[in-house]
Formats: sequence, structure tokens, C-alpha cells
Amino acid sequence: MPIPLYGFLEGDTLGLLVLAQEGDTVLELARKLQEAASLRVAHNDKIDLVYDGKAIDPALTVAQAGLQALDRFDVIWRDKL
Amino acid sequence: MLSREDWLPLARKLDWDYTYVREDEVFPPVISGHPWLPHTEWKDWEESFKTSYREYVDNQYEKDMAVYAVRDAVGRLENIQKLARPWMNSLKVHAAALPLAEFTGVIGSLRGARFGRDSAWRTMSAFGALDEYRHTQIPLLLFHQLVRWDSQFDWAHKFYHTNNWFAIAARHFFDELTLGQNAIEFAIGTNFVLETGFTNLQFVGLASLARESSDHMFERMVTSIQTDEARHAQIGHPVLAVVMKHDPEYVQYLLDKWFWRSWRLFSILTGLSTDYLTALEQRPYSFKEFMEEWILDQFLRTLDEFGLKKPWYWHIVEDELDIYHHMIYASAYTYRATLWFDFALPSPAERKWLRQKYPKYWDDMDAVWEQVIERWRTVGPGAANELAVHGTALPTFCDLCQLPLSAGTPRKNTANVLVKDGRKYIFCSEPCRWIFLREPERYANHKDLVKRVLSGEAPANLPDLLTEYFRLTPDTWGKDVYHGAYDWLAAKKTSTV
Repeated sequence: MPIPLYGFLEGDTLGLLVLAQEGDTVLELARKLQEAASLRVAHNDKIDLVYDGKAIDPALTVAQAGLQALDRFDVIWRDKL
Repeated sequence: MLSREDWLPLARKLDWDYTYVREDEVFPPVISGHPWLPHTEWKDWEESFKTSYREYVDNQYEKDMAVYAVRDAVGRLENIQKLARPWMNSLKVHAAALPLAEFTGVIGSLRGARFGRDSAWRTMSAFGALDEYRHTQIPLLLFHQLVRWDSQFDWAHKFYHTNNWFAIAARHFFDELTLGQNAIEFAIGTNFVLETGFTNLQFVGLASLARESSDHMFERMVTSIQTDEARHAQIGHPVLAVVMKHDPEYVQYLLDKWFWRSWRLFSILTGLSTDYLTALEQRPYSFKEFMEEWILDQFLRTLDEFGLKKPWYWHIVEDELDIYHHMIYASAYTYRATLWFDFALPSPAERKWLRQKYPKYWDDMDAVWEQVIERWRTVGPGAANELAVHGTALPTFCDLCQLPLSAGTPRKNTANVLVKDGRKYIFCSEPCRWIFLREPERYANHKDLVKRVLSGEAPANLPDLLTEYFRLTPDTWGKDVYHGAYDWLAAKKTSTV
């Protein structure tokens, strides 16, 4: 079952709905959001995914990171925290 | 024969004592509003500008004739076709948003005409209902002639009957403010906050934009409507004055709630028209300048007059003046097929102007436009490439205002999640969350577009969402007015610094 999440990419003008799979890595989830917002925000390799105020290890899966349906996550430019 | 001065006070004040029903049965609290007070507390209710029915009809007749005269002189199809294309789309926005919203004002005003607590209030509300009916009919009449030329004008009648995302937001606002509202909250929320605070003065601003854009038909229509608004908006002041004596905290809450909700909707309608859909050389001011000069200062003075505090979120409104409608316009441009009007890319000269007017966050907005422009350069101009310069993921919406989660700045979006009674809600901003938490029973069961998609109520794929749920067609859905074919876009660099 895909997990619907509210994604906010730094530099973008609105939040987007991203459908994640439990087994997606955090990095893959961040890339999905970047791709979905690519019309408005230039690609940036140096990013962090932030959930619940903390940068999440990009190698963790969505399930391991504890992301649940209709949670908010942010993708921000690295070293901002 | 009695003179006007002798009979008008008698005709305006026709209250009597009830003998076989109680007063609270004639004016039930649920529909007359809070606080429920005996008529003795309302008997001194006075409007500033008194009018009789005959005077009202004579006046309105003259105003209608003036509108018809302007329509016949400069409102024909060939006149409209000469208008700048971006401005034409400002017309389409207002053609859709205005008429049936005004019709909900008929219903709200009629509630005041029956359940207002003093006869003079009820008489004024009856005139207000006739005003709002006029404000429904005039734009429907004027825009109807344009439908055969451009089917997007069909949305003048269609908009509120669809589940288009902006219609969902507008209905959420007007259903509460006007259609389903008790007489007191209607008078404070609509007459005092929306009309006195926003539409009365914003119509003056809109008329000025229309004049600068050589759109004399729209200018006359808006001016004609504004004069009605100025009269019936005065219902709010004396209602507010009475309620203030008995429950000032409630008045403060209604003001805080309805100012925020009005700001949200009107910053989009007027912000987009002023800063994007009016040709650069025809813009008399920026949206921020207009708001500061015409709306905010005046509203604060009125609050002072009644001993009310400025809303607790005032600093957020001041900050949003620099960014919110820009976030919305860029978002909407990149999802333009979800709307019924067309959009223009801001040119380098316009972006330079926007940078001068909005220096605080413009760097971040400019980066967004540069990226959109780059996409047009990559795919090339043309109608066939419209959807290659268009978003594909589902946008997200606030569970209170139902508008896109576009608040804050590109660096920091202010959306926030709330878990309540086992359900998750998301809000664009702190004020929307605050309003929800003050009256959760009123808002909790309303589904935003995302929840409708996730529950299967609305289609998940964009083409079906546009056609089956938003009721758009390839002919009517929004496009770039020039399909990306701008002379300046061919140039390699579009620096606006």
C-alpha cells in the first residue's frame, strides 16, 4: 500500500502529495519530491530529508524512519540544520 | 400628506410586543445569533444613511441605466476583444468568483431581513438582499454575451457548481460566511469585516485597475456595485456596537476569524489581478501598496474606534503581503490546467518591477520563475507543449481555507499537521489552525481535495480529475496566454537584478 505524505521542498511554492512505498529509502523519497517539483525548483544533490525536526539517515526505509500516512516531511538544502 | 421626515422614521421602526409567542421563539438564538438579547437592547439600532423603498428603487434604476449605457457604448464584444490578454483573464477570475458569491449574499441578507433584531436592521437587510441580487444578475448578464466568443466565460455561471479546487475553497468560505450564517455573525462577518474592510474599498481599487486597462464596462459595473456595498455595509457597525456591550470577546473572535478568512481569499483574487494580470504599464500600484493604503490602515482605525484589538496574527498578514500571492501565482501557473482562466509568465521587466516592489523575498520567487522559463526553453513554445510545462503531482490543500499549502516562503513553508480525535489535519498557517481549533465541530468533517482523492471520491489521475471532477475541458482549462511564445524568452538570460 502506498503511503501518502505531504512533501515540502525548500525553494518550492507549495506542498505536494508524494506516494511512498514502505521499502523506499529516505533518499528515494526525497528524490521523488525533487522530481515532482522540478518544474519550479532546480535539482540539488546536497539535500537532507527532515522529519519531526530531525535530519533522517538517507539509507533508512520509509517504514524504519517512522513516516506514516499524511505526515509532513521536508527536503532541505544540506547543512542547514 | 406626511413629509418624508415624518413618515420615514415610522416606516423604518415597526417593532411591536408579542402576545401569543415569546420573543425568543420569534427570534431563535440559533438563527438570530449570539448573544441573544431582548429587543430593549436593540431598539436604538440606527443606520447612518436612511432610505425609503421608493428612493431605493429610483436610485437603483438610475444606476442600472448607467451600466446599460456603458455596456451599449463600450461593452460590446469588439471592445472586449481589444483588451490586453492578461487583463481578460483577470476578468474571467472575477466573472466566476463574483456573481454566485453575491447570490449567497442574498440569502444571508434575507436572514437578516427576517431574523435581525430590530425592524430598521431588517429593512436595511431587505435592501441589502436586493443589492446582492443585482450584483448577481449584472455580471451574469454582462459576461454572458462573451461565452459564444470564449467558453472560459461560461464559468461565470458554472464555477460554484463544480468541484474545482478553487470553487471548493470559495464555497467553504461563502457557505459559512453567508449561506449558513446567523443574523449577528453575518452582520459582523459580512457587513462589517468583508464589506467594510475589504470589498467596499477593493472595488474602488478594482475599478481603478479596470480604468487603467481601458476596460470601461468592468469599471462601471464594479463602481455601480461598490455604491450598493457602501450603503448596506453600514449594517455591521450598529450590530457590532450592541454586541460589544455584552460580549466583546466574541466580537474580537469574529473579527479575527473573518479578517483572516477574507484576507486569504481576497489576497488571491486582487493580488493576482493587480501584480500579474494587469499589464505592467497599466499598474497604478502594487497589491501591497494598495493593501497598506486602502485596507489595513482603514481597518485598524475602525477597530480603534470600537475599542477592539488588532488581530493577534497581524504580523503574519504584514509578512504575507510580501509573498503569499506570489507563492499562489507561481503555484497556480504551474498547475494552470486546473483552473478556468489563462496565465501570463512575468517578463523580465515585470520581474524587475516585482523585485522593486517586493524586495524581501523576491530572490526566492525569481529562482522559481527562472526554472519555469528554462523548462519552456527546453520544450519550446506551442500549445502542444503546455502540459510539458505543468505540474503532475497532486498539490496539497489546507484543511481550513481549502487553498493550496502555499503559505510562508519558498525557504520555509508554514504548513503544520494536527492530530485530533484520531484524524490528521494539515493547515497552511497558524491562523487557519487556530480557527479550526476554535470551532472543530464546524470544520472537522469537511474533506479537502487530497482527502477526496485518497478516499476514492475524486479521481487520482490528473486528466480525469480535470475533466470529471473539476468539469474542465481541453478548451476551457487554463493555459499560458502565449503558449510560451514570448520574444524575451528566446534570449539566453533573463536577469532581473
